[in-house]
Amino acid sequence: MIPADALLRALCNGHVDFVLVGGVAATIHGSSRLTQDLDIVYARTPENMARLVESLRPHHPYLRGAPPGLPFQWDVATIQRGLNFTVTTDIGDITLLGEIIGGGGFENLLPDTIQVDLFGLKCRSLSLQRLIEVKRAAGRPRDLDSIAELEAILDGRSKR
Amino acid sequence: MESRTESPVPIDPVIEAYKKDVDRTLIRQNLRLTPEERLLKLDRLRLFAEELRRAGGRLPR
Repeated sequence: MIPADALLRALCNGHVDFVLVGGVAATIHGSSRLTQDLDIVYARTPENMARLVESLRPHHPYLRGAPPGLPFQWDVATIQRGLNFTVTTDIGDITLLGEIIGGGGFENLLPDTIQVDLFGLKCRSLSLQRLIEVKRAAGRPRDLDSIAELEAILDGRSKR
Repeated sequence: MESRTESPVPIDPVIEAYKKDVDRTLIRQNLRLTPEERLLKLDRLRLFAEELRRAGGRLPR
């Protein structure tokens, strides 16, 4: 079993600045939809990228779906050269996003986050409204069901 | 709970059409849980889905 908290614990214990987005953020807001991986937007400062690299290094990160044996180096230079990475680790799959469509990077998203206590950890998740906005901006047909559910949750809040 | 004042999300007729099929009983159930409990429930669902995939893979073809 892959405990939900393992990746969060690795990131928080490593003092990585990140915001939860995607399906896990939707779950935090009450979504019933199944998601398979953890999506985060990480801060692109050199210090934070170094913390991100060190926090996941013990869990053997590798490009998800890539054939084994590629000369993939898990280091700050690799993170700096790229932006978004779909990664598999011993403790679960994680998508590392430097920026998201309609939302920008970590600093842009920060004002629209909430703090949630998860497994004794303080994590930041994208607010429900911002999550809807970025999913709308992404314009992916597969998100339509998810957006509808999130908007139903938001409608329910405004009626309370 | 939210960190800024929320303005209404603009109405999108396509999403409104999808909203008709949203199962609000599942939402209500989830909203009774804490965020941590929601993630634990998600984990149980993931395990269930994995087991279903394994079982499907064992079926004769």
